[in-house]
Amino acid sequence: MPKITYHHADGNQDVLDVPGGSTVMRSAVSNGVRGIVGECGGQAMCATCHVYVHTPYLDRLPEISEDEEEMLECAAAERDESRSRLGCRLTVGDELPEIEIDVPKAQV
Amino acid sequence: MTAMKPQAPSAPIADWVALDALHADPFPIYTRLRAEAPVAWVPAANRYLVTRYADVHTVDADQDTFSADESHSLMKRAMGHSMLRKDGPAHQRERKAAGVPLRPNQVKQRWTPIFRRNAEELINRLRPGGGAELVDEFAAPFAARNLAEIVGLPNASARDMRTWSQTMIDGTGNYANDPDVWARAERSYYEVDEALDEMIPHLRANPDGSMVSAMLHADDPLDIEEIRANVKMTIGGGLNEPRDVLGVAVHALLAEQRRRDRVMADQSLFASVFDESVRYVAPIGMYPRQTTREVELGGTLLPAGARLGVVVGSANRDERQFSDPDIFDINREKKPHVAFGGGAHYCLGAWAAKASVATVALPMLFDRLPHLRLDPDHPAQAAGWVFRGMTELPVVWDL
Ligand code: FES
Repeated sequence: MPKITYHHADGNQDVLDVPGGSTVMRSAVSNGVRGIVGECGGQAMCATCHVYVHTPYLDRLPEISEDEEEMLECAAAERDESRSRLGCRLTVGDELPEIEIDVPKAQV
Repeated sequence: MTAMKPQAPSAPIADWVALDALHADPFPIYTRLRAEAPVAWVPAANRYLVTRYADVHTVDADQDTFSADESHSLMKRAMGHSMLRKDGPAHQRERKAAGVPLRPNQVKQRWTPIFRRNAEELINRLRPGGGAELVDEFAAPFAARNLAEIVGLPNASARDMRTWSQTMIDGTGNYANDPDVWARAERSYYEVDEALDEMIPHLRANPDGSMVSAMLHADDPLDIEEIRANVKMTIGGGLNEPRDVLGVAVHALLAEQRRRDRVMADQSLFASVFDESVRYVAPIGMYPRQTTREVELGGTLLPAGARLGVVVGSANRDERQFSDPDIFDINREKKPHVAFGGGAHYCLGAWAAKASVATVALPMLFDRLPHLRLDPDHPAQAAGWVFRGMTELPVVWDL
């Protein structure tokens, strides 16, 4: 099963084994991971699923679409030029069996 | 027979809840429901009311179990079958087409200057009077003019938009089946169709940034019935939301001098005022869902086909989610609320509402109307629960 690790600012982490095809946002919301809200249910409309991806995983991610780009500019916590992504746009599975992300300080 | 899993009890009956009390002030009723019967059958509303934040969140996140496509929906009768009453890919397809003009960049570049122009015209007209009923004379016409342009009906007056919105909303809430209410709603229904028939050939030939244009020219364009229904739904929901947030926000600022002073000293706080206003009084306080199967929610068992009222107005005051929820506090810890709904039906107009109210209208009102204050002789009033906002907001200012 693919694995997602959420690192929190206080040093704690949540590690989830999730079914292939799950997104970083949906997995967090359905497992009660703090700090990821996913208010719009994953349609790149709210920017409350903002995450910072750990560098080693960056080149395995899909391109940032226009919608995602626009939302990242609206995120509550500061955007990181290379590491900021929307959690609802990151899907784990065969292509991406594992990912680690930092949860931002604020989503709203 | 194999042993059955113990089942949750069925929902308690809250027969003490009366519609007129909900209309006058729903919040004490919600507090009691959250404590005693968070998922309750409420005979007066003819629904199960879901009042806790966590349960509302569960419902919003699971459209397979909690369908927006309610049977015998009054909204479908009043406005046609819009995306708001669809689920899954059918909903998604229409939303994708209609949503383009409401994304943040479009709101900023295309609509905010128009919001500014509309606010300016209205305020310039009001200013010499020294006083106004702010809902009727500013918030409503402001929201109506903005909406007409976003939708793509510049041929509709603010007055038309307000009448259409109100009469179709009244139809949506016509549980008493009053024939006069239906007659008025129906008249608006056909007037909107006429206004659209007038605009569509033009927008087909000359695409612009409006919603109708976006629906016509999408990769997967919507057909005429889909466009008509979505326009009606947008007129129904898109007018009173910004109007009512604006009323609540202005009232909150005028009611407490210290709060107002802080915001005047740091105008970036208008954004917090907006956010706290929609939390404090969610303009759309309740929306329907229907269960597609038997399901446990909030410790009670709901049958398949159960009609739910998702009470975001209560979820936003849930003491399990917010501390001192009945206090209007622009400094409160930032936590998600559900004023815009959540999940697949997240309010398409959220960014437009935020820009029109927090970026444009609030700063301009306080800047242009010197010493703006509540009218000491005419008290402000709020009402409603399915839709809630200020109904009277008499204010005065210095000349
Ligand atoms: S969940 Fe809203 S943008 Fe990702």
